[in-house]
Amino acid sequence: MFRPIFAIANATVGEAIRRKVLLIILFIATLFLIIAPNLGMLSARSETVVLKSMMLGIIQIASAVIAIVLTVYMLPNEVERRTIYTILSKPVMRWQFLAGKYLGAVLALGLMMSLMAVVMSAMFLVIKQNPSEAIKLLQAVAMYFVQMSLLASVAMCISTFVAPLVNFFLSGGLFLVGTVLNPVFDTMQKSGSGASWGKGLAQLLSVILPNFATYNIQNPLINPQQQIQSEASYYINAFGYGVMYIAIMLITGMLIFEKKEV
Amino acid sequence: MAKASSKQALRTKFLAGLAVLGLGQAVLQTSVLQPFWSKNYSPAKAGKTGSLVDRSLSPDQMLFALAGFRELIAGILWVRADSFFDSGNYDAILPIIRLVTFLDPKQVDVFSTGIWHIAYNFTDEEQRSDRRYIPPAIALAKQGCEGNPETYEVFFETGWLWYHKIDDEYDQAVKYMEEAYKRPDIQPARKNLRSVVLQRAGRVEDGMENYYTLLEDAQKVFDKNPDVFQSRQNRDAIVGNLDTMIVRMVQRGFMAGKEGRPLNAYDVFPPFDTGFSVKVSVLQPRVVRFEGTWNVLPVGSRIRCVIKDADWDVFSKYPAQMNWEFSDDVNLEPPRDKTFMQEQLFVRNRRFDKTVDMSRDPTMYPFRSKRYLVEFYYNPRSAPPHIQDKFSWNGEGLADKNFTNTEIRPGTRVFYTYLELDKDQLLRKGEWQEKTPVTKTKNYVEVERTYIKGDQILQIPSLRSGG
Repeated sequence: MFRPIFAIANATVGEAIRRKVLLIILFIATLFLIIAPNLGMLSARSETVVLKSMMLGIIQIASAVIAIVLTVYMLPNEVERRTIYTILSKPVMRWQFLAGKYLGAVLALGLMMSLMAVVMSAMFLVIKQNPSEAIKLLQAVAMYFVQMSLLASVAMCISTFVAPLVNFFLSGGLFLVGTVLNPVFDTMQKSGSGASWGKGLAQLLSVILPNFATYNIQNPLINPQQQIQSEASYYINAFGYGVMYIAIMLITGMLIFEKKEV
Repeated sequence: MAKASSKQALRTKFLAGLAVLGLGQAVLQTSVLQPFWSKNYSPAKAGKTGSLVDRSLSPDQMLFALAGFRELIAGILWVRADSFFDSGNYDAILPIIRLVTFLDPKQVDVFSTGIWHIAYNFTDEEQRSDRRYIPPAIALAKQGCEGNPETYEVFFETGWLWYHKIDDEYDQAVKYMEEAYKRPDIQPARKNLRSVVLQRAGRVEDGMENYYTLLEDAQKVFDKNPDVFQSRQNRDAIVGNLDTMIVRMVQRGFMAGKEGRPLNAYDVFPPFDTGFSVKVSVLQPRVVRFEGTWNVLPVGSRIRCVIKDADWDVFSKYPAQMNWEFSDDVNLEPPRDKTFMQEQLFVRNRRFDKTVDMSRDPTMYPFRSKRYLVEFYYNPRSAPPHIQDKFSWNGEGLADKNFTNTEIRPGTRVFYTYLELDKDQLLRKGEWQEKTPVTKTKNYVEVERTYIKGDQILQIPSLRSGG
């Protein structure tokens, strides 16, 4: 059952790392990571805080763009180039095809994020010479990886029923909303002001939409004096949430793709 | 046929899986992840009004900040604040402080500087602080303490604010200094302040106990590094402080008082009548002159004088101060329609004569209420040590014939009285346009300004010289 999935995933990784547009995004992100330490003049006193924030921010944004660009074209390209017929004529079920494509996309994403993480750690070590903090930053990158895998699943699901360009904006918009939703919902709850229906709506949305902010855990890593109780269990729960939501997206995509005329 | 039913079965399984997963993620999200994230990672971890939504981040800034760069933006904003400090544009710094503490509630430096800036730097033309800014400074301090419990810094700054700026209600200063003291990163030299604050709160023996503990620690450090100048200096400073404190406790009859023995043999006896009297004249609109007597040795004698709204509970129910914690909102717009002026009246030749000109700062002193309290207050706990040698920590040696008060600061004999003025008098309106409003205490006697023929002069004892 899994052999076709792995075979498709393997082929997808090969395709992905040959795509120029992804390589360009990766190159630009890496370039920014290399020049980031030289932007210390923006922040005389908070140099380390700004450096860490900037490096993590670059990785997050670049990874989000890669995740979306990588996945929005995946299925439409197969259909457009008619290569999907060759694959589906073999004993491969549609859901396996979709799962293989997703797995390949996540693996390619992982490769690219690993490269950026290596560059970030190297630059941080060169500039700050603090291995323990450099390693801590990798925790954030690991959480971003789950976040981007979730984003890729959303884009993949949407790609089963809309055109790539629309999908690009739709997935990007959902990422933005999902990132902002948690702080906005949180602040609405704390402010004590605002209509109760507004709070209810925010609560409903935060349950329905993918909550990407769950993975924005960089603040205590950037300000290392902070100590958080039971952080490891939060990471495990966040990972579990990611896996569940990814499964929801993929199953939904599979159900739609199953019915789709290709 | 079989293929179709297998597909249908798979579809059913998928749908069932979807339902289970949907429910699972919703439960996980609402009951576990959201509360934990809110507690530990949220940018707006700032109390009931700590809201990014209803504060001054523009939508693009907010999106950019929340999309992964919030600490970066906070850092850059804070550097931007530097240029405003340099140019003296203090108002512009306030929203930056607020934004930075929203975006990155872990920037301890911003809290420390922000608390100081809000509480100290807004002054009138005569360098009197706008004390209406102190409540938001305290609110910010509380948020800083709540968000940064790992470090002593914000606790220390908050304690310092109570001790030094508010200079009253020392229990609050003790509370925060105790918290700072518990944190392992506190600098050794700063631990001494705990003793000072404890004394001001009337907990003299605790203050001494603290010195002994510090001495023990400092001796250990010194024994380990006898050649290090700093360890010797730290130990010697504590020995000096402790020595002085013990002598003072003896001369002030602290232990005798505690054991209920008569204080006749000590410097606090007999209690000294400070003979306070005052006349308040409104010379021009918002220009008030205070003249009066106060028989205490000039150096270090300062009487607190407050003019404030009489009909706002936040002010009027708190003698010689306000309710500094009346709101947990870091509202950087102080109550613009309220007036709170605090000044120190310096004594010279046992007399004070000071004119306070509030006319150049009408926004700080709006005088919109109908009635005003003009309060006069002296707390021996706030007095410098050489004055305190006579009055002692709890005012055992203070006995103003007319105005001694043991109620407004329980456990301490302070001196307190107040007069009243109304809005028309302070603004010289209506019948007061041509007539100078004057109000005074009953015991006020018009005298020559150069010298007062008093029959009592406070003799300040010197340490170890037999008085």
